[in-house]
Amino acid sequence: MDRPFKPAYIVEALPRLLAYLPLTLGVALATVVAGSILGLALAKAKLGRSRVMRGLADAYTWTLRCTPSIVLLFLVYYGLPAFAKAVFSVDISLWHRAFFVVLTFTLFFGATMSELMRSAYLSVDRGQREAALSHGLSEFQAFRRIVLPQAAVSALPNVATSVVALLKEGSLAYTIGLVDLMGQGTLIIARRYGAWALETYLAAALIYWALTVTLEKIAKRLERHLSRGRRSLA
Amino acid sequence: MGLDLEYLYRTFLLALGGLPVTLGICVATLSLSLPLGFLLALVGMYRVRVLGALASLYVSFARGTPIVLQILVVYSLLPSLANAIAVNAGWNIDVFALNPAWYAIIVFTFNTTAVLAEIMRSALLTVDKGQLEAALASGLSVWQAYRRIIVPQALLVALPNLCNATINLIKGTSLAFLMAVRDVTAIAKIEAARAYDYVESYLAIFVIYLIVCGITQMLFSTVERRLGIYRAPAVSF
Repeated sequence: MDRPFKPAYIVEALPRLLAYLPLTLGVALATVVAGSILGLALAKAKLGRSRVMRGLADAYTWTLRCTPSIVLLFLVYYGLPAFAKAVFSVDISLWHRAFFVVLTFTLFFGATMSELMRSAYLSVDRGQREAALSHGLSEFQAFRRIVLPQAAVSALPNVATSVVALLKEGSLAYTIGLVDLMGQGTLIIARRYGAWALETYLAAALIYWALTVTLEKIAKRLERHLSRGRRSLA
Repeated sequence: MGLDLEYLYRTFLLALGGLPVTLGICVATLSLSLPLGFLLALVGMYRVRVLGALASLYVSFARGTPIVLQILVVYSLLPSLANAIAVNAGWNIDVFALNPAWYAIIVFTFNTTAVLAEIMRSALLTVDKGQLEAALASGLSVWQAYRRIIVPQALLVALPNLCNATINLIKGTSLAFLMAVRDVTAIAKIEAARAYDYVESYLAIFVIYLIVCGITQMLFSTVERRLGIYRAPAVSF
């Protein structure tokens, strides 16, 4: 090989990358919160009576499912400032890049969440809501106390998968210049004029791997905790 | 601002020129990943000792790390590694002149095989064990039982997930530009930088991906409907 492989540089890169883990996680968390709100609104439209709203929500989900993250990220990052300037004459091109990242992935995550929420809601038997209402609970109480806890359990494994996917896709933020975990990795490499790139990328991959495995473990635990007291057929 | 529609249309046609590359990578990746993923699923199911542990480690890594990192790792490792091998073996080939699409196929196969292995494993597990036993008892060989009884049933269950995986693969190839592959996204990116027309360029490929993924979904739902006639009617209690 024309250059040696030095694992020491993986170890060296780890703490320097981990320093940016809070930003990566923060962006992901903000996206999950905003995306869940968007998802809830979309799911409500999909389950609602209005045919127009249903069609719009379905079309939105379908479109986002067919869009590569990088394409939407570029569209938002370059398109939104141009749009804001033309329509509202505000210059947002210098806003923090995390804003554009969170916005992009919120659009994706909302679409995914709306599908998960819809199927989770439908997985709860209708009799549950009706029984709750006939016991004198209000519509909101029936949803919050009876339907939601059951729907949440059935949605949890898929939500965990989506959050993991979000975390992984979020690593693309470096392409618009956000200095998060991944962005810091590319910066370290650039400062060394491309030296030890492999080691630095491997260090970043290890961090992401640990992160996703941990998340999946937590989700498994939570699922077991939430489904206690539930009797299944078998 | 006003969109430059004429420019958008021109970039659309230009980027369409990258479609054979995009689709070629997808088709090559799928034809490698489907058999590999199936083998891996069997290894996982039958708990083959050392191989099974290695397989689950591989699946966990390939599914637990961002594909962009897999691309960057492979692309910074493979060319020099292949070159070293070629030089040591005394082959007279210039590794660095190799079409980068090959590297793309390797990375996406690495990633997609793991995804497909998981999909196939869970699909195979939905088939009742009695099906295999009944097939064997009727005198079919294991190979015949799998080909004629097990796989057709598992395939039907796996189809929606296979559709998802295919769509994700198509979308994932948009990152091939990191390996200097001239696919749909790479062409748009080059055009965008050349003409300073980012919005129109990316809108053009946004439409291309919508069309390609839309057609893919339609194909899958047609196949699902066709295969659905083999589905046994639901038993009601």
